Amino acid sequence: MKIKDKTVVQNLGFCAFGGASNFAHVDVLDGRIARIRPLHYDDHYTPEDLNAWEFNVRGSTFKPGFKSLIPPLSLAYKRRAYSPNRVPYPLKRVDWDPNGERNTQNRGISGYERISWDEAAAIIAAELVRIHDTYGNRAILVQGEGHGETKIISGPHGCQSRLLDLIGPETDEYTVQARQPDSWEGWYWGAKHVWGSESHGQQNPQTNVVWDIAKNSDALLFWGADPETTPMGWGGFQPSRICFWLTEIGVRQIHIAPDVNYTNAVHADRWIPVLPNTDAAFQLAIAYVWMTEDLYDKDYVATHVEGFDWFEYYVLGHEDGVPKTPEWAAEKCGIPSYRIKAFARYWGTHLVSISHCNGGGYIRSCYSHEPARLEAYLLGMQGLGKPGVSQLKWIEWGIQGIYPVPTSEINPIFYASYKGWMMHPGKYFIPKTMTPQAILGIDNDESISWYGHVICSMNKEDQFLGFEYPGDGPRLHMIWSDTPCWETCWNGGTIYQDAVRHPSIEFYVVQHQWMENDTLMADIILPICTIFELQDIAADPYNGQWIMVAYEEQAIEPVGEAKGDFAAVCEVARALEKYGGIYEGLYEKYTRGLTFDDDVRIAYEHAEIPLDEYPLEKFIDQKYLLFPTPENWEDLTVGFNDFYRDPEANPLKTPTGKLEFYSTNLAHYFPDDKIRGPVAHWIEEGDGHQERISSDRAQDYPYLLVSNHPRWRVHAQHDDIQWLREIKTCKVRGADGYQYEPIWIHPDDAALHGLEDGDVAELFNERGRVLGGIIVTERIMPGVLYQDHGARTDILEFGVGGLDRGGANNLICPTKTSSKNAAGEVTNGFLVGIRKADLKELAARYPEAWNRDYDPHAGLVARARIVDNTRKEA
Amino acid sequence: MTKAFLIDLSHCNGCYNCQIVCKDEHCEADWRPYAAPQPLTGQFWMRVDEKTRGQVPWVRVAYRPTLCAHCADAPCIAAAAAAGKPEAVYRREDGLVIFDPASDGDEELAKALVESCPLGAVFFNDELKLAQKCTGCAHLLDNGWSVPRCVDACAHDAIQFREEEEFGALLSKAEVLSEVAGFGPKVYYLHLPKRFVAGTAVDFAADEVVIGATVELVSTGAGGAGGAAGAGGAAGALIATQETDELGDFKFDQVPADEYTLIIKAEGYSPLKVAADLREIDLSVGDVGLTKD
Repeated sequence: MKIKDKTVVQNLGFCAFGGASNFAHVDVLDGRIARIRPLHYDDHYTPEDLNAWEFNVRGSTFKPGFKSLIPPLSLAYKRRAYSPNRVPYPLKRVDWDPNGERNTQNRGISGYERISWDEAAAIIAAELVRIHDTYGNRAILVQGEGHGETKIISGPHGCQSRLLDLIGPETDEYTVQARQPDSWEGWYWGAKHVWGSESHGQQNPQTNVVWDIAKNSDALLFWGADPETTPMGWGGFQPSRICFWLTEIGVRQIHIAPDVNYTNAVHADRWIPVLPNTDAAFQLAIAYVWMTEDLYDKDYVATHVEGFDWFEYYVLGHEDGVPKTPEWAAEKCGIPSYRIKAFARYWGTHLVSISHCNGGGYIRSCYSHEPARLEAYLLGMQGLGKPGVSQLKWIEWGIQGIYPVPTSEINPIFYASYKGWMMHPGKYFIPKTMTPQAILGIDNDESISWYGHVICSMNKEDQFLGFEYPGDGPRLHMIWSDTPCWETCWNGGTIYQDAVRHPSIEFYVVQHQWMENDTLMADIILPICTIFELQDIAADPYNGQWIMVAYEEQAIEPVGEAKGDFAAVCEVARALEKYGGIYEGLYEKYTRGLTFDDDVRIAYEHAEIPLDEYPLEKFIDQKYLLFPTPENWEDLTVGFNDFYRDPEANPLKTPTGKLEFYSTNLAHYFPDDKIRGPVAHWIEEGDGHQERISSDRAQDYPYLLVSNHPRWRVHAQHDDIQWLREIKTCKVRGADGYQYEPIWIHPDDAALHGLEDGDVAELFNERGRVLGGIIVTERIMPGVLYQDHGARTDILEFGVGGLDRGGANNLICPTKTSSKNAAGEVTNGFLVGIRKADLKELAARYPEAWNRDYDPHAGLVARARIVDNTRKEA
Repeated sequence: MTKAFLIDLSHCNGCYNCQIVCKDEHCEADWRPYAAPQPLTGQFWMRVDEKTRGQVPWVRVAYRPTLCAHCADAPCIAAAAAAGKPEAVYRREDGLVIFDPASDGDEELAKALVESCPLGAVFFNDELKLAQKCTGCAHLLDNGWSVPRCVDACAHDAIQFREEEEFGALLSKAEVLSEVAGFGPKVYYLHLPKRFVAGTAVDFAADEVVIGATVELVSTGAGGAGGAAGAGGAAGALIATQETDELGDFKFDQVPADEYTLIIKAEGYSPLKVAADLREIDLSVGDVGLTKD
């Protein structure tokens, strides 16, 4: 029996930006993907070959392992290639006429007709020329900065930016939607100013921190962290293995969050439920106990901390007359004061580290810079950098000096042949958090202003630069996106809908694999290949076992008329050539005449790989290479230990070189900022946010919503995979047969609202309404609701106040940024109400949506939106 | 030589990889004569059962990969024989029980096979009128693979597949599922969940947790007479004792499903008794108030 025809290696990681992960063997049989399975490194390597690292701690050994630890998101990924929601061929919105009525108000409503690649490319080219000649290319917004499949040569996100670079008077003559520090907001806008860690803001360096915690820590706190979930998209299950090992060797795992996340569910020794985004109150009360009971490292504070007295003055109540006692905090955060005291004393007398993934409730909520800074303060009060006292990051190992487990001296990146947008501070940009306001400002001739380039790779000093839009440039009139998930991933998708349906946006082109989310509002849609349909190369720094690279052969032929992102932009380049002038020879300029083999060679030879030991031929022949652990990994300094030992000789990257409890930079640059002041505070309300249960708004919207990074998706990715959707925490099938995004509600609250398992309910606030399927569960504390973010939109009513059937709760997130001088997103821990939905009434009100073609197992389908699928000859 | 599965639930992280790769292998894939294509959705030859245990703030989720137990004395084999189709289900030399996909079209047989399995591990394929289930990925084992897909995909080696005798002493600690205990199942489990009860001792008047309180778990149930399901002692028997920790917490884990009383004693406080009925559920007794003598 033949069980396969061929096997290829592919990275099935979903970070994009060239950071690959989740290497898999893909078996192909009869032209279709037969199976996706882990790589077994012992096909080519022994532990001796790789100088395999080992932690020998407390009588137990932990090793990196010899197969790839890939997650369900990767193992089920062939269903995305064969999804009924694939964009089958180029499409044009039927009532968008570039030479007549554009009917922008019908974006999301009107259907699509099939067009040829030639026609699609010609239309895009004509629009580009028109926009260029009418407004200049700064009127084009490039959305090329989102997560997705991880590609280098075949088409990462942002290929369109490289084309636009060639047709402006100079490069960067277009407007970029900034690649925000979107899952690190509080660290980026807050903690950086305490400990200087660049650039994402979580503790950096992380070197050998896992080993240190295993050896020295009594407890590890998971403060909203879910290492069973968040690293799945780019890293896999090494964090999961470490959690099991920490249990085995007796490191106590304490979870602090409103919900029992998927790590808490299997690893926690203790759960301390806390109301969403009230962590700052809890943290202040811990500091209060330490200050009043002499439970912190005074010697360390004296030598390592700048401005402790300012913090003490505030905590003890001298500043505002309110001591930040456990009783004060209990009312705000929902943790009883006796437990706050006991926990503070435990922490004050044990070696405790804290761990995070990206996201986690408080880091994406309003004023997220405050709890982030307070966490750095608390670690500082207990001697940050001391053995056993660190902040551990569970994800993105291998970039920016984040090496909590041993790495390799060879850590290649393939950017020499990267075809996407380079994460750089462009000349013209808007924060992604302000895209709707930028567009809608045209009505009242309003400009917007902000601080910083708002790009995750920027250092903290960048946050002191002021910017505005539109300044002396044109307003936006066109959007070219390969990142069509603003609605379901950002801060207030309903207002984004209002923005992109505004007449000033004359042309909206999306290139994407699936008919999902923002794609459904585009005027032209280009069908894009999944990674299975392309050949590429990949470098994985993330998996926590081995640094590795892969030569990725094409697994299957393109599905439908799909092309790679790069090839799609090539079509536009060709179509532009007929306009001559600046467009002359554009295709050749864009491709630089390079073949795939050329690109592989260039990337490989510029990746700092020792070519004598690892020649290109070996890479291509063996399909993947692993690189060895350094000889001296055990000698490398743990985290901040150098600073701990001698802060004068090893200063932090802060102005004073110390842990700045009083931020000298913030005091200097933003002396009047009461929300993000020099010293972190509890902020009740302000800067446009009223998201506390004490707020007036809570009368109407009494619940705080937890909207985590999703368990069964990477943000907006994967929502059509049938095998995930039949897992009961992934979707809830309503009485109408539709698979709804789950809402977790505590039994006490469910009883109040008459809600039962399987009911469909509506989450609402003044920004809009989203539906969900009820799961009554003890996994969420009373007073709090939970719904993962990133569900596919299925819009019943567009715009602010609208209604979504898909459960994309980002649609109703706050639209204001973290605070007025911090342009971060606020997408977690916000107020909503809940009520049971009347499915019959909804079906009667929205018959078109209810009767739309729908796959009972995969959900939304592309064919439902295509009203004319006939192939027209040119 | 008989193959067996050993599933260590203490290393199951609930990722569903095993359930997913089973589908990846079999859905819409034709591996006859081992197995006909499985429908794209709805069948779970490897099924992760999931149960939330306890109440706020003591909550855990139990995950249990459940599959055909490839019983030595399989009820499905008996059912096929009873239906006059003994050839429809057979045991391989390696012990894997296989449903012959050539028996498609016989709806009556198929439904009898579905009903014969106490684990619900057999599924009806409506299109083919065929009963289907785990094959142990026999088509792969016969073509160079040493383990089935579910074993290969587990990041934690929580599912193992070997010759039964190779497991050695591990099997002495293992259990089988009660539903198939009488049929000689070849799927064994380590760390099947029992019950827990947890809480925190608090002096509400002082607004402090009580650290170092003695907590006794006393059997009070009918099962306490020492039956198989009981706590192993007579009613009133002391099952276990703990001291509350630095957070005032206590937690008795992996105790039999039974009725208990918690007796909490601390110096200077009146002893407190709290009933804990663990027959059906795991229990958080919450923050329990102690009062001064």
